[in-house]
Amino acid sequence: MNIIVCVKQVPGTNEVKMNKETNTIIREGIESIINPFDTYALEEALRIKDAYKGKVTALSMGIPQTAQLLKQTMALGVDEAILLSDRAFAGADSLATSYALSMGVKKINNYDLIICGKQATDGDTAQVGPSLAEKLNIPHITYVNKIEEIGDGFIRCTRLTSEGYEVIESSLPALLTVIEDLNVPRLPSIKNLREAKNREVAILNISDINADSKFTGLSGSPTQVVKTFIPEYNINNEMIEGTPAEQAEKLVDNLLSLGLSVQ
Amino acid sequence: MTLKKYHIKLYLNLNCIYKLQDSFGVNYLIITLKRGQFVMENVLIKKLEKEHQDYLRDESRRTGTGESISFPKTEKEIIEILSSLKSNGILITTQGTRTGITGGAVPEGGHVLSLSRMNKVIGLRYDEKAQTFFVKVQPGVVLSQLRLALKKKEFDDTENWDNESLKAFEKFKNSGEYFFSPDPTETSASIGGMIACNASGACSFKYGPTRNYIEAMRIVLVDGAVISLSRGENKAENGSFTICTSSGKLFKGSVPNYLMPKVKNASGYFTSKDMDLLDLFIGSEGTLGIVSEIELKLLKAPKVHYAVTAFFDQEEKALKFVQSIRENASPVAVEYFNSNVLNLLRREKTENPAFGKLLDLPSHFNSAVYTEYAGNSDEEVEDMLMKAGEIIESCGGNEGDTWVATSPQANEQLHFFRHAVPESVNLLIDKRRKTHSAITKLGTDMAVPDSCLEEVMNLYNKSLEEAGLESVIFGHIGNNHLHVNIIPRDMDDYYKGKELYNSWAEKVISMGGTVSAEHGIGKLKTHLLGKMMGIDGIKEMKALKTLFDPENRLNRGNLFEE
Amino acid sequence: MSSIKILKDKCVGCKLCVNSCPFGAIKIEDKKAVILDNCTLCGSCVSTCKFKAIELTKDEVKGVDTSEYKGIWVFAEQKEGVLESVSLELLGQATRLAKDLNTDVSAVLLGHYLENTAKELIAYGADNIYCIDDPSLSRYNDESYANIICDLIKQYKPDIVLFGATAYGRSLAPRISSRLNTGLTADCTILEIDKEKKILLQTRPAFGGNLMATIVCPNHRPQMSTVRPKVMKAIEPDYNRKGNIINPQITVPTSTKVKVLDVCNFPKEDLNLEDAEIIVAAGRGISDSKNMKLVEELAQVLNATVGASRAAVDEGFIEYAHQIGQTGKTVSPKLYFACGISGAIQHLAGISSSEIIVAINKDPDAPIFKVAHYGIVGDIEKVLPQLIEKFRENLVK
Repeated sequence: MNIIVCVKQVPGTNEVKMNKETNTIIREGIESIINPFDTYALEEALRIKDAYKGKVTALSMGIPQTAQLLKQTMALGVDEAILLSDRAFAGADSLATSYALSMGVKKINNYDLIICGKQATDGDTAQVGPSLAEKLNIPHITYVNKIEEIGDGFIRCTRLTSEGYEVIESSLPALLTVIEDLNVPRLPSIKNLREAKNREVAILNISDINADSKFTGLSGSPTQVVKTFIPEYNINNEMIEGTPAEQAEKLVDNLLSLGLSVQ
Repeated sequence: MTLKKYHIKLYLNLNCIYKLQDSFGVNYLIITLKRGQFVMENVLIKKLEKEHQDYLRDESRRTGTGESISFPKTEKEIIEILSSLKSNGILITTQGTRTGITGGAVPEGGHVLSLSRMNKVIGLRYDEKAQTFFVKVQPGVVLSQLRLALKKKEFDDTENWDNESLKAFEKFKNSGEYFFSPDPTETSASIGGMIACNASGACSFKYGPTRNYIEAMRIVLVDGAVISLSRGENKAENGSFTICTSSGKLFKGSVPNYLMPKVKNASGYFTSKDMDLLDLFIGSEGTLGIVSEIELKLLKAPKVHYAVTAFFDQEEKALKFVQSIRENASPVAVEYFNSNVLNLLRREKTENPAFGKLLDLPSHFNSAVYTEYAGNSDEEVEDMLMKAGEIIESCGGNEGDTWVATSPQANEQLHFFRHAVPESVNLLIDKRRKTHSAITKLGTDMAVPDSCLEEVMNLYNKSLEEAGLESVIFGHIGNNHLHVNIIPRDMDDYYKGKELYNSWAEKVISMGGTVSAEHGIGKLKTHLLGKMMGIDGIKEMKALKTLFDPENRLNRGNLFEE
Repeated sequence: MSSIKILKDKCVGCKLCVNSCPFGAIKIEDKKAVILDNCTLCGSCVSTCKFKAIELTKDEVKGVDTSEYKGIWVFAEQKEGVLESVSLELLGQATRLAKDLNTDVSAVLLGHYLENTAKELIAYGADNIYCIDDPSLSRYNDESYANIICDLIKQYKPDIVLFGATAYGRSLAPRISSRLNTGLTADCTILEIDKEKKILLQTRPAFGGNLMATIVCPNHRPQMSTVRPKVMKAIEPDYNRKGNIINPQITVPTSTKVKVLDVCNFPKEDLNLEDAEIIVAAGRGISDSKNMKLVEELAQVLNATVGASRAAVDEGFIEYAHQIGQTGKTVSPKLYFACGISGAIQHLAGISSSEIIVAINKDPDAPIFKVAHYGIVGDIEKVLPQLIEKFRENLVK
């Protein structure tokens, strides 16, 4: 089984604070981490490798510093780590990202399964998985919480829905996006880290993967951000005065005006 | 409430409530009842009602009694309250957030003085010499809130700060990360409570206990006088000291003569011939005075933290590793989990869905040592890890049998493992209580000097086996401070356990150790303190106590057997 | 290739751009701004610079002739004939957007035995229904649904297509947008029309909700968005409305690479505090166990889940399963009522993610009032009955 795991580098925290006087955003010098949902994808890939033998490749699109994080995945048992890095990839939305990743996957060429985390904690869009599967013209299954069986040319999983779960079977190759209930990610040992120190992450640029810059980065992004702002929450600490009847009325009015509705 | 005699003539209407302030500035309500009869109540002092039931307990689950309660917001209010209670000799028990586990905050009648509403951070300063920040807080500030405020660099009450603090705040916002290092597991503890028992946590192995981070304090004595102390400015000289209160009154006394054990310690009063007098009050469990304001020392936070749990197939190898790592490296924390702990976790993982997120423990994992490393770059800390790996191998261990955390998510997994230990023990006890309701766990808090680590482990292991009791051993092995938790199956076990506990205390004391390294004595371990100090030691402690609290009204029941 | 550069002769090193960058991708070196590798070309800094020292060149993005695309579509998600409420909410929003664009609203309905469902959709605002009725579509299938909807879009060219951000919607929408090479914005909380450019303004939270971003898709069609349930409002259904039911000539795929073998629903959970949207919680301050009835009644009126503080559980007012706090459950409701709860830090730890906290307590100094958005100092026995009555009067179920 040859498995590709898509991994994204995200900020360690989402704290974005506002300097109220200058009306500007304050960002701390925050460390970068591997998107937590991707760690479950990595773990699942490694478990499949343990069970069925094969190869696990970690694939990421990011800035050059991402290579350091990818190296950590090698300490877990990932056989090869590839970083797609190029100025032409900057400013990509999920379509441009999935295009670039698809060219990276095509470069790797030999794969049975692609596993992604369900979403990234900075964008939260959960779009790249299905979008990438489309670019590769392979089937996809989202919100997988258990892989039941992998057989000759097929995979069977359960995936979560709003009200329960479904059992789905797909031909291979296929792409899965996985959720956090799937497994408990292993931690590397000191021995693993020591051995990974000498491993290298392959860094590929746009021409290495034969990608067209028209479809990558900002140029390849149909969506654009036109405005960003800190949301104003119109709620303060308000003490409601009056008789119990008056208090109740004021409170109900306030809540209804905030949009309270019940199912 | 007893009426005070005031030589004032007032014509009061019936069935009314009047406000009155006496010459001490104390506020009263006069509630008139019938002709010629009225009651006077201090506005701050409330009758202890059903809704205050929680304030009769702390986490030791011991329940006390009390008649009145107050929630002062300022030092002035504390003094007012003390003044009202003075003439009737009412007992006073000071409380923070009642997270202690030795009954220190449990009142034995009288008045409950809850400092939980004194929870503001009131100032900040930068010290050029110390090259760090100092933060001024009220005693009711909760550790988790302080940590959050320091991390986010946001404080609730800055509009009331003086200019010096505001300037320091600007500098603070533009400096790197600073933190308050004492890390007791219960983060909802109050600073005042942490001072009362000189609290410690896992990282106290490197950074030291709460004591090391108290720079200054204001203390209200039982008669309402206020002492203000700053580190380095008030010291004992050859065992004698003089303290001057705000009103000019002098306290002259001597520090106890006993020698404190050379271990991590939270038993009894701190003493040494030329001690800083601030240390008299830290770890005094509220028996000498009421802390009303504290200045805390912060440390610059290292940028990178890694942690590793190392598994050994034999306890001897684990102990060897502990001794080697603390000599040859400088970990921030060194924690231990014996084979019974691992077995308990293995069982819980299969039986309890809440423990599903525990990683699998292969059968050759017998015992575990958790160590933490901090530095300013990834390379620096990675080197520390590699070195730790070499030390593991040199102790007969396998550096492949380790779990390394280099990200917050992975750290979470290791923390989950650590916290699962006391959780599992509590769950097991709860199960057993269903058939034997009087069962509680028996946990020790004793520490010995470095040279006695092996000896004390042998003592615990052998005696537990001989007694046939179920137990787990885990804790701050870096300081030779292990929590032995005996888990009784029935009352027979319980009594056997208690006996064993007392016999251990004697042995630990003879090794030069302490009966309480971090939890304090409170009301539950007074007999152990007695054993440790001996009659003379207790007498000396009592003399100190009598100096500051002649009528023994403050936190009666703590430290001394009644 | 798009690029960004600092015009060094104009830059004065004032740092305004450094502060405005949400990604921390600008630093000052030798008194001039320098753009770092992690710049995402979002352009936030360009408008912040008072000296016009930042130049962002965006390549002409070749798109489609947008004038060919008209109409607003809503994917009508249904299960066994029952429509997901989010689809109805989206229809409501679509009718509002359609007014601004002077266009109509259509629903896309796939499944089997769809007659009644189609009528519902018209009542809730659809002018047209594109109805594909086939037994193979009775269960949702990513592959066949994506194929059919893509074909429909290619044939009928809608301007805007909206999906509910349900498990299915979040799987389907990106597959379709990727095939059509168009833009998709997920989890939009605000959808509006830019009156000048006549395009959709899609606003969504980023960085876990700490920042809001408004996104457009100017040169590609259709403009696609997903929206979470309960964010938009459905219109009052009007069963007298008229609409067109269209049965397009579309190939329904006979075999797919993905097969749904089994569908299981979780049993309706009686007590799910962690997912509850509204919680009414009791503390020791409700005084008497008989007042639990008031708490339960308020919960019932609001279709809320009942919670409790540790003190209330210790007092025996309710079982441990309802306990919220450090030693109980952590909750993140939209609305949290703390009745007679003093606000001990261990309890607050369990409710800190609540959107709105309402506290009712006798004691004006109770710590809960510091974190409550609305506070009522009063007697539970007097206040709760009033609340129950007022909510009953005002809430339309």
